[in-house]
Amino acid sequence: MPKVTDEAVIIGMGETRVGKLPGMNSVQIQALAVHNALQSCGLTIRDVDGLVNLDPYGIPNSMFSTTLAEYLGLKPTYCTTVDVGGTVTGMTMMQQAIWAITSGHCRTAVCVYGENALTGRPPGGHGSWLKNLLGGEEWEEPFGLQGMVSMYALLAQRYFHDYDADESDLGAIAVSTRQHALLNDNSMMKTPMTLEDHRNSRMICSPLRLLDCSLVADGGGALVITSAANARRLGAKRVRMRSFAMRMTHNTVAQLPGIEDLGMREAGRDVYESAGIGPDDLDMAQLHDAFTISALVTIDALGFCKPGEAGNYIRTGATAPGGKCPVNTHGGLLSQAHIGGMLHLVEAVRQLRGEAGRRQVPDARLALVSGNGGIFSICGVSILERM
Amino acid sequence: MVDVFAILPSPSNESAPFWEGCNRGELLLQKCGDCAHVFYYARLFCPKCGSRKLEWQPSAGKGTLYSFTHVGVSFYGPKWESQIPYTLVLVDLDEGPRMLSRLTGERRAKAMIGDRLEVKLVEVEKQKLPYFRIAGE
Repeated sequence: MPKVTDEAVIIGMGETRVGKLPGMNSVQIQALAVHNALQSCGLTIRDVDGLVNLDPYGIPNSMFSTTLAEYLGLKPTYCTTVDVGGTVTGMTMMQQAIWAITSGHCRTAVCVYGENALTGRPPGGHGSWLKNLLGGEEWEEPFGLQGMVSMYALLAQRYFHDYDADESDLGAIAVSTRQHALLNDNSMMKTPMTLEDHRNSRMICSPLRLLDCSLVADGGGALVITSAANARRLGAKRVRMRSFAMRMTHNTVAQLPGIEDLGMREAGRDVYESAGIGPDDLDMAQLHDAFTISALVTIDALGFCKPGEAGNYIRTGATAPGGKCPVNTHGGLLSQAHIGGMLHLVEAVRQLRGEAGRRQVPDARLALVSGNGGIFSICGVSILERM
Repeated sequence: MVDVFAILPSPSNESAPFWEGCNRGELLLQKCGDCAHVFYYARLFCPKCGSRKLEWQPSAGKGTLYSFTHVGVSFYGPKWESQIPYTLVLVDLDEGPRMLSRLTGERRAKAMIGDRLEVKLVEVEKQKLPYFRIAGE
């Protein structure tokens, strides 16, 4: 069973504006996110001796942690880049930082991701412009697979078949997520959405429509993690990573397992067990929602309802603002912006610090964050807790 | 079907037999000489037991449709507009492996999960590609 220590804790978080940040490159965006995160806890770059980041997917870079460290003026004693997959990367960054701090490599680390995925995209490009897909190009491109949408469309079509679900279930989470986004000043989507808007939006890859897809965006997010002793000395607000687990099952879409064997269920079971809690104990959930179908599969797998019942669960109002367990209180990848899932973690920490303004979940103590990279190729779940 | 566009594979030391097989009219799968696991795609090692004793064997080219999507947007730029909509499928081959492919044929738009499919090799710039069509078409 995964064990996570509370000898290192999260004391700060920050994000940049999201959407179009014309003229800004990925190094600048990550640097800005780091400075914003440090500001949230009254620290400066002089206090930082650890750095963990992810390099941009659109324009891959080598040695991106040292690139960013030099740009920031840091000479860290622990410095690394990790790439696992959507939001699982952010959780793994946190775990790396916690391990580095508790084993004495550094005292205060920043974890950061950001890039100019929207303005850095070639003109006329559709979707997320990835330099490479999932490494299986020889077995994908000759058949016409390009980008991420068609992979998730294959998953969605099968979900409809296995559970007798339909597009109104996809629409339910799109609408719930938009309601949250309207409470976030830093979200790309500013207008309400109805089920009818969803149903009338352009078909991209059946059954997924435009409003089933997340928002390619420029932007970045960062977290500050330090030793528990230092956090107490600073008098900082503290959040701990109470539990974290991951499961990798496959990589390319040709190797896609059945929906109940994607690994999310097992990762969830591990974090619930090691944290000693269940879905009913959560104050909120930030679920990786690159597509609407991702959220449905995750809601089922993490035990919020029976398999295939996610649509009905969402229609009870549970996931909406003020619901039993609000999902994606920042507006998610679907309606805030797709910043690799980093802002799912930033939002969870912000909520647990009680700093989420008009979208604050009252007295929030426990937040679940889920992630999946590729096509549910790797799944990760973590529980964050206010201390 | 006319003017099918495809990004052609760049065969490697491990995948060349597969693509050469297609050009001879065969859909080849690797079979492990130690554990008898049949798998797709081409590798140097058996992904089940790690053995290097692998052989190529022809598939019957028949399978069952696991899922499909009609692609409605050209992610490859304007040249591909003429291909839209086209249909991607995940097909469960009778020999076991799941495979991503493209569906061709008249009944493509009426595809349903569970349909029986059969391989239909489609030539693009001198490389035959193992696409599928609904069986009996």
